[in-house]
Amino acid sequence: MGQAYKHKRIGYKKKNGFNALLFLSPTLIIFTTFILFPVIFSFYLSFHKWNMFSSVRSFVGLDNYVRLFKDGEFWLVLKNTFIYTLGTVPLNMAFALAVAYFLNKKVFGKKFLRTAFFAPVIISPVAAAVIWRWLYDPNFGFLNYFLSWFGVRSINWLNDPTAAMFALIIMGVWKTFGFNMVLFTAGLQGIPETYYEAAEIDGATRWSRFWKITLPLLAPTTFFITIISIIGSFQVFDIVYVLTSGGPLGSTKVYVFYLYEWAFKFFEMGYASAAAYILFAILFVLTLIQVKYLRSKVYEAV
Amino acid sequence: MKCAKIVICILTFIFSSILNFQCQKQKEKVDNDIEITFWHSFVSSTIPALNNLIAKFESENPNIRIKAQYIPSGDALIQKLISAVQSETAPDISWIHADYLSELVQANAIYKMRHFIDSENGLTEEDINDIYPPLLHYASWRDTLYSMPLEATNLALLYNKDMLYEVGLDSSRPPQTWDELHAYAKRLTVDRDNDGKFDQVGFFVPIYPASGPLGAWMVWQWIPFLWQAGGYVIDQNQSQVLYNSSSGIQALTFWQALFNMVDISTFTVDYQVAFAAKRLAMALDGPWNLPRYNKLLRNLDWAIAPLPEGPEKRVTIVAGEYLAIFKQSRYPQEAWQFIKWVIQPENQAFWSIRSGYLPMRRSVLNIPEFKDYMKSNKNFAVFVKQMEYGQSQRSIDYHGIAITRHIADAIEKATIGKMDSREALDEAANKSNTLLNSVQEDLKK
Repeated sequence: MGQAYKHKRIGYKKKNGFNALLFLSPTLIIFTTFILFPVIFSFYLSFHKWNMFSSVRSFVGLDNYVRLFKDGEFWLVLKNTFIYTLGTVPLNMAFALAVAYFLNKKVFGKKFLRTAFFAPVIISPVAAAVIWRWLYDPNFGFLNYFLSWFGVRSINWLNDPTAAMFALIIMGVWKTFGFNMVLFTAGLQGIPETYYEAAEIDGATRWSRFWKITLPLLAPTTFFITIISIIGSFQVFDIVYVLTSGGPLGSTKVYVFYLYEWAFKFFEMGYASAAAYILFAILFVLTLIQVKYLRSKVYEAV
Repeated sequence: MKCAKIVICILTFIFSSILNFQCQKQKEKVDNDIEITFWHSFVSSTIPALNNLIAKFESENPNIRIKAQYIPSGDALIQKLISAVQSETAPDISWIHADYLSELVQANAIYKMRHFIDSENGLTEEDINDIYPPLLHYASWRDTLYSMPLEATNLALLYNKDMLYEVGLDSSRPPQTWDELHAYAKRLTVDRDNDGKFDQVGFFVPIYPASGPLGAWMVWQWIPFLWQAGGYVIDQNQSQVLYNSSSGIQALTFWQALFNMVDISTFTVDYQVAFAAKRLAMALDGPWNLPRYNKLLRNLDWAIAPLPEGPEKRVTIVAGEYLAIFKQSRYPQEAWQFIKWVIQPENQAFWSIRSGYLPMRRSVLNIPEFKDYMKSNKNFAVFVKQMEYGQSQRSIDYHGIAITRHIADAIEKATIGKMDSREALDEAANKSNTLLNSVQEDLKK
């Protein structure tokens, strides 16, 4: 009886390994096909010139990269993307934290409100953009009508180069802050009530409780959200494409839009791949800086 | 444990029924019908007409079935075609734009039309001569015909008769020249309550973001103005662009004048909505919207007028939808049969009446059914008559898409960007000429 049992245990481990691979295989296949292969092939392509239809791929060395740095539009889109990131990330996080904080208290309809705030994240960007294009319409749009109650003259949201970036930032924040709100909620709920109670007993005000307990203990969450928000907003494309299409006059043309154009409008896959790798390099460096600089602060705080 | 068993049972059932369904589909393919895939981008209001057309074809050609599939137009169309060609899943027939002809030809993806026209089941010279020449011109790349026009479109002026009457103009006499268009637009731009916001705009200048999906559409509407001023986009041997000539500057300045009348950018994004809401008096439009307007615009008196005449000549831009047969098709002869059938005059009349598109050959005008339709649809008749002085773009051999983009940038900069039109056009022309020079160099190698 004992021996039969021992035999069964060894067989179980071997089968276990094989079963594990079997269960992982769908994900591994999808990962290899759609993520690993394109990443490697893209790197290879960035040193070639290829227009997707012909089977001719000519090697051009670093030519694509050099052309990129020489192109005025490259720097313009980089600047626009930086502006977009600087505009959305702080606003996004501030909103997300505020909403998460207030929905963490005893509020009527808490669950409904959380769902409502999260809904923009899952709406198709095209559907959202169609709604916002009408909200932003200079003549028939709701936003200008609303502003006119306060005597503000109608703003030409989508056709004025300055206003368009604001319009994009507002819509960008609306579309993504729900996700950060959920993350912040999780972080907030991880802070034990006892800390607050102890502080209240010691006479701490609401504000200093927030500042000295909540924020420091949220540091790991904030750190994570900062990194993914910056990466995400650098890669923004879908809402730009449907809301302003990079206009007017290229004022909302972001990096990935530029990449998309060169790849799928002008059919220069090599050039676009080079652009993609430069984006990767930029984000890699940015993330490295954040990790090195902020991580120590996070440990301090917690 | 029992729960897991139930779940597994349900999943097995679902998978096996999917497999079964697929097997059934295979069985259907075994019977003798040949299926031709036809990719198109017809708007939803045209689909019923398309279904009628296909039903008529299938009843007259019993062994062939047409599977029409909608694919989005513009950028998405060429992207989908390219991936299909690369992955060997190209359709038998597809819509294509002349912009993409050079890419498709270089990828060796489509047949030369002469391959079919000169074959036994082909067309006579009479047939070819019956087709409006600008259409064939646009369907060719370097003088070789690569696609066949399915239907034609052109550009005309949509206007609101009531509004003309209200400001004291003759509502049956739309503007005939550029000067009249300008004057009418000014009279029709009205700020009724003096609040600084215009309640009614005279003429909608179609300015869209150059890098967006409507950028090329904006350029398409500007080009007839360029021609009317006596200009051309590119020269005969494709070595340099001509759109920054004095004619081009004149045409762009004219658009600037119309645009600045009311700062159109503060108006609205959608001219059709504005027109239906009686906030817009005139706009440029094509025939494909006629069925929709006939149904929706019942509470206002609207009409179509020929495009106003320019300083040098009267001309409108002609386009249409073109069909190409892909070399990867397993049934090119049957695909050609469909195309040949569709361009027969009776079928063109059938299609034209139901879809609102214009016929692509002259002899259709002699068909009694079609003549009656023209009599009872005056607006449609305006478009058809314009085909006589329609011109199509010279197909740009290389970098057509990029050059269109340069023109779009110039138009956007001159209107929204308030740049001087000469400066804007010269900037764009420099970029275009650089590209064309690189083509010359590549060709020499």
